[in-house]
Amino acid sequence: MKRTLTTCPYCGTGCNFYLLSNDEERLVGVEPCTEDIVTRGQLCVKGWNAFEFIEHPDRLSEPLIRRGGRLEASSWDEALDLVVNRFKDIQTRYGNDSIAFFSSAKATNEENYLMMKLARAVFKTNNVDHCARLCHSSTVVGLAATLGSGAMTNSISCVDQADCILVTGSNTTEQHPLIGSRIINAVQNGAKLIVVDNRKIRLAHHAHMHIRCRNGTDVAFFNSIMHVIIKEGLEDKQFVSARTENYEELRKVVANYPPERAAQIAGISPQEIINAARMFASAPRGMIVYSMGITQHTHGVDNVKSLANLAMLTGNLGRPGTGVNPLRGQNNVQGACDMGALPDVYSGYQKVTDASIQEKFEKAWGVKGLPDKVGLTTTVAIDAMADGKLKGLYVLGENIMMSHPDQNHVRKALQNLEFLVVQEIFPTLTTEFAHVVLPATSFAEKDGTFTSTERRVQRVRKAMEPIGQSRPDWEILCEIARRAGYGGMIYSSPKEIMDEIAILTPIYGGISYQRIDKVGLQWPCPDPGHPGTPILHEGRFSRGLGLFSPVEYRPSAELPDQEYPFLLSTGRCYFHFHGASMTKRSRLLQREVPLPYIEISPEDAKELGLADREWVYVSTRRGQVKAQARVTDVVMRGVLFMPFHFEEGAANVLTLNALDPGAKIPEYKVCAARIRRAQ
Amino acid sequence: MRILTPTELQPFFQSLEPDYEVRVPIALPDGTRTLGRMGEGPLAIEGGPLLIKPTSVFFPQYETGLGYEEGVVRVQAPLPKPLFLVGLTAQDADCLSFVDEFFQANYQDDIYFNKRKGAVIVVVSGRCGQDEEFLKIARNKCDLELISDGAKFIVVPNTETGRELCSKIELGKDEEVADSLAALEKESSELSTEEEEILRQSSHILLEDKVPEGFWAEISRRCIACTACNLFCPTCTCFDVYDRRLKTKIERQRLWDSCQLDGFMREASGHNPMGSEALRTRRRIHHKLAADVLRWGRISCFLCGRCDRVCPTGIGIKAVSREIVKRYGA
Repeated sequence: MKRTLTTCPYCGTGCNFYLLSNDEERLVGVEPCTEDIVTRGQLCVKGWNAFEFIEHPDRLSEPLIRRGGRLEASSWDEALDLVVNRFKDIQTRYGNDSIAFFSSAKATNEENYLMMKLARAVFKTNNVDHCARLCHSSTVVGLAATLGSGAMTNSISCVDQADCILVTGSNTTEQHPLIGSRIINAVQNGAKLIVVDNRKIRLAHHAHMHIRCRNGTDVAFFNSIMHVIIKEGLEDKQFVSARTENYEELRKVVANYPPERAAQIAGISPQEIINAARMFASAPRGMIVYSMGITQHTHGVDNVKSLANLAMLTGNLGRPGTGVNPLRGQNNVQGACDMGALPDVYSGYQKVTDASIQEKFEKAWGVKGLPDKVGLTTTVAIDAMADGKLKGLYVLGENIMMSHPDQNHVRKALQNLEFLVVQEIFPTLTTEFAHVVLPATSFAEKDGTFTSTERRVQRVRKAMEPIGQSRPDWEILCEIARRAGYGGMIYSSPKEIMDEIAILTPIYGGISYQRIDKVGLQWPCPDPGHPGTPILHEGRFSRGLGLFSPVEYRPSAELPDQEYPFLLSTGRCYFHFHGASMTKRSRLLQREVPLPYIEISPEDAKELGLADREWVYVSTRRGQVKAQARVTDVVMRGVLFMPFHFEEGAANVLTLNALDPGAKIPEYKVCAARIRRAQ
Repeated sequence: MRILTPTELQPFFQSLEPDYEVRVPIALPDGTRTLGRMGEGPLAIEGGPLLIKPTSVFFPQYETGLGYEEGVVRVQAPLPKPLFLVGLTAQDADCLSFVDEFFQANYQDDIYFNKRKGAVIVVVSGRCGQDEEFLKIARNKCDLELISDGAKFIVVPNTETGRELCSKIELGKDEEVADSLAALEKESSELSTEEEEILRQSSHILLEDKVPEGFWAEISRRCIACTACNLFCPTCTCFDVYDRRLKTKIERQRLWDSCQLDGFMREASGHNPMGSEALRTRRRIHHKLAADVLRWGRISCFLCGRCDRVCPTGIGIKAVSREIVKRYGA
């Protein structure tokens, strides 16, 4: 039995485990690490089954080229040359920015770094982005504006030290199970828990207060919380005066949100707001935990700013057991952002518009003329494809047909492309549109690093040889660069790539494979002697003073009406992950939730005459899908909840392509829908 | 009696490798202790029960039972050499004996006995637990026992195989240890039996059906369905069987299952007689403490402590039993 210590490929918690392989080098299980500070001998059900999909017979094992409308096997040479030639050809005809690169939060830091290097240094475009656009782009924008750094401020272990935990828009026990269970433990040990979530999630059963605001009314609610805190003199006056600016503006804005008004907007009672304000503000250490329920709105950035405002107002930053803590959904979505797989920044959030930064990267990469115009986000790029303005797309490890809003719109966009290359481990709905498919390896077949939600850079280690002719993403990207005539992307191993990242990325300056061999380090880690940073903003914010950024409540883009009377919210379930490429090929996970479903309240089901497990059609102005009704009091009356994992009942056929103006994140959490029995 | 110092254990185990597949407690790079081959990590005999269940050596998380390739069915072959398995606790040995019984009742599970047959079981006990904890002495529950007196190990054979192996040990020295062995046995017999008593009482309360449904609803709200309680439990034996069609062959594989999952009992219609967390949590505890008592004549939890150690929200069997006795024991 061989045991390979590695990091889980599912959510952003960053659990470590050993992949077990037998004497024939086949994977036969996982074993949790008992000594790892996050894992502590525990795993969630997806972690326990993380070995299962890797050797699935569906794995892509050879490059494919579309010929005569069909994808046919080809050699690596032919496929790679075709990619380079077609992209060069498109750029010659339509300009450098006529192609785009979608990187992947599933891939390693090294691979994300190379993807952005390929886009910028080789193809001279800043059109590079990844799926963080769809989950926490509002966090990156909102927290950077208020605190100066767009990441989880504290560490996972801070949950143990908090006196009051406010969880909003995060179904933590299902989506970050080992953080969710830690919150339950904290409550068992005496911490107060406030859950602000319209669904009756598991944590709600443990909460001292469960507040079920109407979807999308968060700004009004949190403004009102701050209204009460200021009115009752519960703010941390010393913190506000010493560490923040723009307080007067905040005070003025939240003055317009008395509990009576906010309660009416949010559909709750004024007393709930008052009680929650008192409970949170009176805790010596108050911690805010949030996720997609906050970010995936047309006012996602405003939501994030509201939470940052609340934390600053109560002095809950820069100390153990406090903080504004966005839980990142993917194994390496933090890292993909850190590596600059974003249209406006190089690695370490260094702006592409800054001439001195541009010069630094030009010198290091040995190129001239790096693009200085901010590129397209994935969401805007898809609109550009649909409009015929973007002609070529390189997708690394994302199933955009499943993950982006309004699937019919995405389909049209993909059909419009002159050339699409998809680098994947399994065939997906997106590879069906590809002109070239490049078979990549899974996390188990390569070395690298992932950065977890608590900014911890951890090792991923190769446990087995690649399946078939598949190759690690980093090798493929280097081959593309070489064939495009660039000599600056030749590496013997991912370790060398990390060494380059450390030189060019101040927050990763002290990261090396040697230092993170046993325990990962949390950035900022600027030099080889630096111990890493478990808690951000201690004594000073990344931007100097914390900036209160008051925001006004704006309703969601599409609310229920007579024609579409239900509010549809989408998300994930515990047993599947995103487009389900991996989880539907993991037998226990697929057995657990094999069919598309939609949650509906018992009251609504009764009114519509729907029984549990009955098939229904759900439709919105974008389209219609079929799913099984799950009659449950998890959802409130008038609200439907649907996970987006299922090709045969894809929630993103229904969702709305309306974007936050700043972060360009889609409003996955609110649109208008109707539902009827399928017969 | 043969005495081995801690440094003599490694060469002793190595000397058995020509005849046995030796599995011993080793330390992995992050410090996790597990069962592995010599050379896969430094020997880590001391420190109490391993987190991984030792029965997984015979019943692993995932294995291929048979394959079909080019018209030929191939069944899993027995191991070429029998296993020599070191590192069980006395409780683990109880668990193993229960699982042995389970896998041969009614029909014999060949895949299990391919590995189990001829295996030599070695318990580690005495003064070598974590934080100076005294590990209960197993005696006749294993072939061979390494009983620590805090400085060295007394090698105690309990079966014919054990005695034969003992007689071949060339390392260490023979010493008269009757007195110190008796002292260790006495210390072992004086270990607290409070947990056994709580478990017995809890079992009794369950058999008398005194635990209301509300109790299960309450504690199951903490369950995050990680399935670790089952996957770490040495007496959990549930698996599901799947066929996987590969390019040139079909393999029939079995994979650990968990009664804490909805799909475990769900019928094809979608109806699930165990369709809530409350029912599933009840089932897990009830199965070990009541159903198995009726079926096998004994409680099938031997207090190894793994589910309590790994449950992220404190609903391991010891914790739940304490709660049951506290609330419904009067």
